[in-house]
Amino acid sequence: MGLDWEAIAFVVLSVLEVTFSILLVTSKRLVRAAFWLAATLITVGGIYLLFRAEFVFLIQILVYAGAVPLLFAFGIMLTRRKIMEEPGMEGEK
Amino acid sequence: MSAPLVPSLFGSCYILTGAIIWIVDKILYAIGYVIPPLNGPLAALGGWLASPAVLTFLTWFVMVLVMVIWAVLLNLLTMMWVERKVYSRLQDRYGIMISIWSLPLWPFNRRKDKATHRGWGFLQNVADGMKLLQKENIVPAAADSMMFSVAPAWIAGTTLMVFAALPWSSGLSVANLDLGVLFILAAFSLAPLGILIAGWSSNNTSTLVGGMRSAAMLMAYEIPLILAVIALVFTTGSLDPQTLVLQQEQTLVALGPVSIPRWNLFGPQVIGFIVFMVAIVAEMERIPFDLPEADAELVEGWTTELTGMRFGLVFGFKWLRMIAGAALLSILYLGGWSGPVFYTFYLGSVPIPIIPAEAWFMLRIYLLGIFFVLLSWAVPRVRIDQILNIGWKRLIPLALLAILVAAAARVFGYVG
Repeated sequence: MGLDWEAIAFVVLSVLEVTFSILLVTSKRLVRAAFWLAATLITVGGIYLLFRAEFVFLIQILVYAGAVPLLFAFGIMLTRRKIMEEPGMEGEK
Repeated sequence: MSAPLVPSLFGSCYILTGAIIWIVDKILYAIGYVIPPLNGPLAALGGWLASPAVLTFLTWFVMVLVMVIWAVLLNLLTMMWVERKVYSRLQDRYGIMISIWSLPLWPFNRRKDKATHRGWGFLQNVADGMKLLQKENIVPAAADSMMFSVAPAWIAGTTLMVFAALPWSSGLSVANLDLGVLFILAAFSLAPLGILIAGWSSNNTSTLVGGMRSAAMLMAYEIPLILAVIALVFTTGSLDPQTLVLQQEQTLVALGPVSIPRWNLFGPQVIGFIVFMVAIVAEMERIPFDLPEADAELVEGWTTELTGMRFGLVFGFKWLRMIAGAALLSILYLGGWSGPVFYTFYLGSVPIPIIPAEAWFMLRIYLLGIFFVLLSWAVPRVRIDQILNIGWKRLIPLALLAILVAAAARVFGYVG
């Protein structure tokens, strides 16, 4: 098998990470942005795993993917009066 | 010393996969015999399937499948059944009774004079699941439909992730990680985001309040949970479930013929045990702490708008989280799967312990499960501010105290 699986995994993770980051900064709905943030941080954790840094990967999942987006979403929801945006504010489409 | 029934899940699944591929190979050969032009490509396909790399790859799939069937199909249903039977007994009634005798098929419906609902009720949960599968998946018109669909999958997926690293004995596990306990805790901590998203995306006051409560509560209880594990690491020096259980198999005190094992519960970790136990009950969202879906205040909390099998997933997987929590508790503090074997007999050359390690582990899981059930149906629900006070003002100082005690014990030479 001449395939370099680590390189393939790296490319897949990087593409996903860049996609999620672009979605994160362009998304108009802030709670969706928090979800994309969680997805971005998990893919970053996957790249740590490729570097054989299992401990950093697990701490990344535990702290950055588990707690930080939750805090963001919590803060965002506390600051808004409306549960969701007006229909006209939707950025996509 | 304990002995597992399955010495190596990979080895067992390798044999199983080999058998499946052998049968597939025979079927391919038969098809090739009937339709001669296909003979060449089919033989090549059979050879490719039997090559070692493909066989190993497929074995991993079979292993994951076996673990999912074991955890979800057997233990989840049994735990739900135990809960529904135990709380019915607590309320002085029979509880669920749909069993194999309720099936409208030949061997079961012979006696027309007897009631069909007269069994132990094990098939009630299966019947409920079948009902939920037939229901329509309704997405509320004002909901954020993408997030609404993602959230149940997120919760179910992260809960199943726990079972990738959770060993059921020294052999029955998918992956043995050096940092297994940390992996389990990390997978556990991912679900609250899904709960918050489910609550928010339904665009409903009850679900939003439920999601917010869940986020606030799980954040408050995640910290003492991790701190208790840090206190444990001070004396054990390991996060590998296998090492933790091996350490707890040693004898603490021998009282004549009975020897008390060296469980982490007996010793300086007792404060950590109490903190961990309370925090894990909160993580499971069981009744003293089930504020996110308090059915008296918020219709069904963050699950109100979910319908059909989406509801079935998030509802049923609460019991899976309960199993995972009880398993974690017993690995960390209650000796895991250690226990006496008494007698080993041999089937050919395969040793079969009469009480395998898996049985000891499941005994602990189900006893803890019954304890959680009795707890949640005997005590009232706590208010949200009281819950947060318990979390931030009581459990975190207690967990810090547990770390101090464990560190002092380590300084004075207590190990494992």
